[in-house]
Amino acid sequence: MKPWKLVTVAGLVAFGLLVVVPFWWIATMSFKTYEQIQFAQSIYIPRPFTWENYTGLWLDTRFPLWFRNSVITAVVVTGITTVIASLSGYAVARLRFPGRELVATLILVLYLVPPALLFIPLYRVLAELGTTNSLMALFLSYPTFTVPFCTWLLIGFFKALPTELEEAALVDGATRPQALVRVLLPLAAPGIVASAIFAFTLSWNEFLYALIFIQDETMITVPVGLNLLIYGDVFHWGQLMAASVITTVPVVALYMFIHRWMVEGLAAGSVKG
Amino acid sequence: MKRQRQEARTAVLLLLPLLVLVVALIVYPIYRAVWLSFTDKLVGYPERFVGLRNYIYLANDDAFHTVVRNSLVFTVASVALKILTGLAMALVLHATWRWRNFFRGLMLLPWITSTVIIALTWRWMFDAFPGRGFFNSVLLDAGILTRPIAFMATPEGAMAAVVIANWWRGFPFFGVSYLAGMQSIPGELYEAASVDGAGSWRRFWHITLPGLKHIIIVTTLLTFIFTLNDFNIIYVMTRGGPGTATQVFATYSYEVAFNQLRWGRGVTISIFAVPLLIAGIALVSRYLLRERTA
Amino acid sequence: MRHRRLTRRNFLAGAVGASAALALPGVAAPQIKKGASLRLWILKTYVEPTNKAVEAAAQRWAQKHGAQVTVEYFTFEDMQTKYVAAIENKNTPDVGQLETGAPARFAGMGQLLDLTGFARQVEGDIGKAPANVAPVTVIGGKTYAIPWYIMPAFWYVWRDEFEKKKVKLPQTFEEAKTAAAALNRPKDNFYGMGQSWNRTADGYGVMQGLMYSYGVGWANKDGKYQSIKNAKMQQVMKWATDIYKEGVQPPDTLSWTGSQNNENFIARKIAQTSNGPSITFALENALAKATDAKDKKMREEALANHVALPHPGGPDGRRSWGLALSFGVFKSAKDPEAAMSLIAHLLSPEETVKVMNDSHGQFSPVLDKARAATREYFNKNDNYRNFGRAAEWFVATGWPGPVTAAAAEVQASNVLTDAPAKVIVDKWSIDQALEWEDKKIKEIYDTLGA
Repeated sequence: MKPWKLVTVAGLVAFGLLVVVPFWWIATMSFKTYEQIQFAQSIYIPRPFTWENYTGLWLDTRFPLWFRNSVITAVVVTGITTVIASLSGYAVARLRFPGRELVATLILVLYLVPPALLFIPLYRVLAELGTTNSLMALFLSYPTFTVPFCTWLLIGFFKALPTELEEAALVDGATRPQALVRVLLPLAAPGIVASAIFAFTLSWNEFLYALIFIQDETMITVPVGLNLLIYGDVFHWGQLMAASVITTVPVVALYMFIHRWMVEGLAAGSVKG
Repeated sequence: MKRQRQEARTAVLLLLPLLVLVVALIVYPIYRAVWLSFTDKLVGYPERFVGLRNYIYLANDDAFHTVVRNSLVFTVASVALKILTGLAMALVLHATWRWRNFFRGLMLLPWITSTVIIALTWRWMFDAFPGRGFFNSVLLDAGILTRPIAFMATPEGAMAAVVIANWWRGFPFFGVSYLAGMQSIPGELYEAASVDGAGSWRRFWHITLPGLKHIIIVTTLLTFIFTLNDFNIIYVMTRGGPGTATQVFATYSYEVAFNQLRWGRGVTISIFAVPLLIAGIALVSRYLLRERTA
Repeated sequence: MRHRRLTRRNFLAGAVGASAALALPGVAAPQIKKGASLRLWILKTYVEPTNKAVEAAAQRWAQKHGAQVTVEYFTFEDMQTKYVAAIENKNTPDVGQLETGAPARFAGMGQLLDLTGFARQVEGDIGKAPANVAPVTVIGGKTYAIPWYIMPAFWYVWRDEFEKKKVKLPQTFEEAKTAAAALNRPKDNFYGMGQSWNRTADGYGVMQGLMYSYGVGWANKDGKYQSIKNAKMQQVMKWATDIYKEGVQPPDTLSWTGSQNNENFIARKIAQTSNGPSITFALENALAKATDAKDKKMREEALANHVALPHPGGPDGRRSWGLALSFGVFKSAKDPEAAMSLIAHLLSPEETVKVMNDSHGQFSPVLDKARAATREYFNKNDNYRNFGRAAEWFVATGWPGPVTAAAAEVQASNVLTDAPAKVIVDKWSIDQALEWEDKKIKEIYDTLGA
């Protein structure tokens, strides 16, 4: 048993380092001054430590606006997605109607349609609707990938829930909506929350659509802003790192609360099927 | 009977929002995409119907041949690495008791991080400047190198770099899925095998892998589809360079459409990836459906 | 010392202002309705104070006329795509600052207002642009934009490196290449040159300077396509690829972003590079931010040691590509009079001087009176004197022909820098690359006409 234990521990350490080191590298650089980075001083641990990148980022650049845009978009899209996905997921999982399995397949297929194929014509459609260069373009386009994914997830989740309680409520004379709210919802809460978190994360991290649909520098989201900082303006490495850290923190925080659910959700979607 | 019809009606009502979304923002754009591919649309000028000209041009264009090759290399390499590492990670976590939840959570960090940030991060890991590049800093300090290496300056190096970034981002998803899969393999099978004198390798090969077959196939197909059409990581890390060394379907389509302003040709590039996509989707849905209805 | 200069500048500005005030009423004649609201797009340069100065100038106009101006920026990287997106989405700004090829391109798309009449007025009040700049804004006999300034490129070198090895400061591309070999010290992580063939002005701008100085152009005097498959272009490609083959540049040069040559030069990793005056700005800025005495001394030396030479010449002369920035009015503008009034205001010598004071030498005004008003500013030191002479060496995209939509497309398509990249990265032969490049250029001209 001993040698395997060693291998397992070594494996854990290796994987742990593999994941942590790149994050640490960025975080370290976010606390260095431009000169320290440029002239390779105090590489591994910044001495002296500085917060100037964080303050500079917040006060001198448009980052606060980008952050605001990302938050608004993520919240709105999560709302739209959760509603549509819950309704659709319930319908496919619980209601009997002709073509039910076909719909389920179609939903999966839709998730697999790549944004790389859609982005050009979608751009024209959104332009014709007059929504480009505003967050509305994202509110309309993001659900095209968040809804199929979350619906698929929730179908699997709803299917795994017992039907007896619902049946009992219906027999007792409750209407379907009542049964839905009083019985299913509490049971489905973890799945719905997981689905909402997924939608939030997908929306928070999206890049291609945000890059193409919005040009106004005050209306872009954080990922697009970061891309601008590296290829556009000069000399702001530390700020770029600080921005990366600030952007990742909310998702990590959210995630720490629900990672158990998230994994269950993933498992439900892919394993139990 | 009445209940059935009522259920069907409710279902249609509930599915209506999804239907509207899908038709207006997915099906209709796909139709427009196909139409565009038969025109010579150049931004700012009106479009003209030109039949198969874009398709013929791309079929004969060496830049596009490179793009196809790069896309396949990128995808196959990343997927292979992700599967192998995912298995390793699942095995390690499966054998861990006390810290399992903590590590499982930790390992998912790359998966929830924005791909733009991941691309930036790895761009710096490989940077040629010692103050910014992790590998160069470490190797120089350890005395292994005397001069920094420009990892991403050669075609092979750049491709390796983007594959690594893509792999790092994706393997935790595999690991967690395989772990969940392993946990649902009944323990008795292992016990029986041990009693029969099977060593750990044989147990792995004859019990674990077959038990994971379904999930390995599904995750492989899914990731193949996504990686083939990946945009973010390559665009932010190399913009498809140096030259066309890391140009793939999505980035080339973007470049042609938004830098060269040729929308007709740009859309056609993405459409070329569709046959592969359809094959992948068909396989996935058949596999997943088979398991669901079983 | 500073006080005295300030006073002289004020005096000069005052004198010019007075005469401008006498002249301006002619231009301000278009009556603007109160409450006019304009969208103005301007270039975001690397020198933040300049950007703010231009915005301030625009706001001064707004205040003067009880109007509103919303300023939006585009960058060097997205200047092509941002305008094009706006055109496709039908939300173009009212007044847009246009780079060299843009007036031709957008006039070709029917997007710009004909400003011929307005241009005559401006000419009367602020003067003409020199002959080599005018073609940028005059397309098919009509004027579609009014030029404001040129953002030129210069050949930056570290003087002390040259003196150490007793190498002459280069005047031509050949001399620059020889110097690079002489100054190259890869063991110390120091290289003789840093010229990237990337998709920014530092790439395609220098390639054009190289081509035009060797007497090669992809368009003839009439603006029609001509083949580049000739001996002169072979020499051009040879220079472009030799600097990579001979190992006189950092290994990752080809994959640099737009700002990496600046950084490498300032960090003293390369001896020579082409760039706009933003390098001088960076060094001046660093000196201003210096904390202790040792730091300050180091930065003063850096400032003194860096030289901005005129861009190298070739066998056919010294021709340097630069960004010629002009203002155009889009047809979508609801209030063309207000738009023209804003342009006249920004171009006035008075406002130009105010912007110049924060420009750190980045740009060189082109209209006569504005040039005269800023001569004083450029007399600071040798580098600045070179900055001020930029218009002398300027040639526009598509030399020796006029700036046409097709010429602008060639530049925007990145074929100029992709060609040497194919030789360097994909190991094509120069002949193969030229064959490919020529084919692509011909294709553009076939699609867009001449």
